Amino acid sequence: MAVVILKHARAAKCFVLSLTVLVLVGMASSFVAAAPLGAGFERTLGNSAVSEILKQYGGEYVLPLHQRLWVEEVFRRLVGATDRKDVVYSLTILNSSELNAFALPGGYVFITRGLVNSIGYDEAKLAAVLGHEVAHIEQKHGVNAVFRQMGLTVLLEMGVMALDLATADLFRIASHTLLQLVNLGWGREAELEADLIGQTLAVKAGFDGAGAVRLLDDLFGVPSEDLPMKIFRTHPDTEVRRKRLEENLASYWSTPVVVRDQDVLERLDGGRNFPLDRRIDPTNRYVISLPLEGSGLQVFDQQTSRISVWLEDVLVQDFAWSPQGKYLAVLVGDEPQTQLWICDRWGRVTREVRIELAIADMCWSPQGNQVAMSVYGPSGEHVLVTYVDADIIFAVGEGLSGGVAWLDSGVYFENEGKWYHASAPKVEGVTIPNPVPQVLQKQRILSPSVVREGTTIRLTRPSLTMP
Amino acid sequence: MSLKKLKLGSLITVLFVVLVSRVGQAFVFTDPTELYSTTIWDQWVYQSHHSNDQITVFYGEGDYDLLYFESLGRVSDGSLEAWAQRALRLYEEPGGLKDFQLEMPLTVIDVAGQTGLSCGYSYLDERDNQLWEYRVFLILPGGRGFSIALSTGDAWLEDGSPLEDILRQWRWLF
Repeated sequence: MAVVILKHARAAKCFVLSLTVLVLVGMASSFVAAAPLGAGFERTLGNSAVSEILKQYGGEYVLPLHQRLWVEEVFRRLVGATDRKDVVYSLTILNSSELNAFALPGGYVFITRGLVNSIGYDEAKLAAVLGHEVAHIEQKHGVNAVFRQMGLTVLLEMGVMALDLATADLFRIASHTLLQLVNLGWGREAELEADLIGQTLAVKAGFDGAGAVRLLDDLFGVPSEDLPMKIFRTHPDTEVRRKRLEENLASYWSTPVVVRDQDVLERLDGGRNFPLDRRIDPTNRYVISLPLEGSGLQVFDQQTSRISVWLEDVLVQDFAWSPQGKYLAVLVGDEPQTQLWICDRWGRVTREVRIELAIADMCWSPQGNQVAMSVYGPSGEHVLVTYVDADIIFAVGEGLSGGVAWLDSGVYFENEGKWYHASAPKVEGVTIPNPVPQVLQKQRILSPSVVREGTTIRLTRPSLTMP
Repeated sequence: MSLKKLKLGSLITVLFVVLVSRVGQAFVFTDPTELYSTTIWDQWVYQSHHSNDQITVFYGEGDYDLLYFESLGRVSDGSLEAWAQRALRLYEEPGGLKDFQLEMPLTVIDVAGQTGLSCGYSYLDERDNQLWEYRVFLILPGGRGFSIALSTGDAWLEDGSPLEDILRQWRWLF
């Protein structure tokens, strides 16, 4: 009898357990159907760590007025590009000189004044940092990492979140775990995912996706011990991340299509986007020509009426001024070893673009910050795009080569008598809505003073003086 | 000829020379975007590397003398007064201007047929030097904001002489 009762008891226990599992499964499915229920839990969890974060990082910092409006506008555009509508996003600037940024579940994004100031007014880089953090929230990386760390099953996690049923104890543990994790990052996979989703968010919001790559390049230059930006130091190998972000840039361009618009075709056949007399720089100072024999570029300075040679001893094939006259792109070397060099407007080489392919043609973007090249070699024919100020190259067209031109909406390339078009992602500058006039002050200049000592003149250490 | 008459004649001559030389030392500045033109005294030097399509900057002779005209985007405050008051409030708040003091309240002013609001305020720069600034807020046709500002290290707001000349010669080119 006792055995029978025991059997009954076991069966009852199994029944209760099965029922619990069924209820939790039901909760889980209701959570999936009604995600906003979980957002409340995330918000409360994130909020529980806010005061500790503020304490750790010297409290909130108020940026100077116009810098604050600019940062807020970048953040507003990013938030406008998010998919989750159940999250209320907020941005807090922390009073710390560290280079750091992080996100808490529920929409709390933090960035230190050190990182904001080191980024300056480069909106693409700021969008990259903030986009990365927003991506963590969009993907619930924080809350997932907390539950993983606490050893709870996904089922329980979803059940608790679905009902917003967290007990005081659970919250206390979760909040403590969150604070531990926030300084370590949410895990390798989460960081890699946030990189790409953040970059996509930035592009969707009208920022240049290359900002993420340039930001990592900046951080490469900072010794790791001086890089308290845990989010980057503890993140996956920076080179791997950089490579993924660079390769991903091509995905924001449209697939090439044959151009049928007659107006565009006439513009393309009418000399591409180069000025008619491409020898003269757009600011009308220099007139450049290729020497009939020998190397270098022959340069006539219309201001001083002097002739000089730029890139002496270098075999130059072709050149093109950027539309604003800030840079000069030069094709150097013999095929198949042609290289693209970017020079400043005084002929000094600022970047050598090294690719293992021969360059057939090149052209500038209308903004003068990118160059498109049609290239060929053993690996086939490609149309590549590179930046003047960063070591970034990606392909926007494969197997298509010939003439290349860059009109307003993207790159056009010629292949066997047909023009193809690949649209570039749209990049918009930051305009402060409802602006406030700036308050300027005279900028001091760094200059030495002249000290006369008998018959000699000595210059003092330069100091900041009024102009 | 009495000594008095000689002195009076000399004084008139000096005043005439000063006036003529002052007129001769001004030049007409036309905004590159063709929004306005005005007369600027010669001792104010155009700062090309601080200027762009939105802002035009001139440095004066004094250590802190600065003149700048700023063309802003669309203003969505309900009125010119609301915009000016919001701007002044933001200047006063944390992140704005240190020790901001409104010295001259907002006053209606006419700038070549456009109604503006002028005011004067003082604040401390990063080295705690007290600066005074006289500012005119305008909303141009189409709802775009425009601002004229004169900044200095001396409290010369009472006569505001350089700005008076500038505003008197102001012409809108739209």
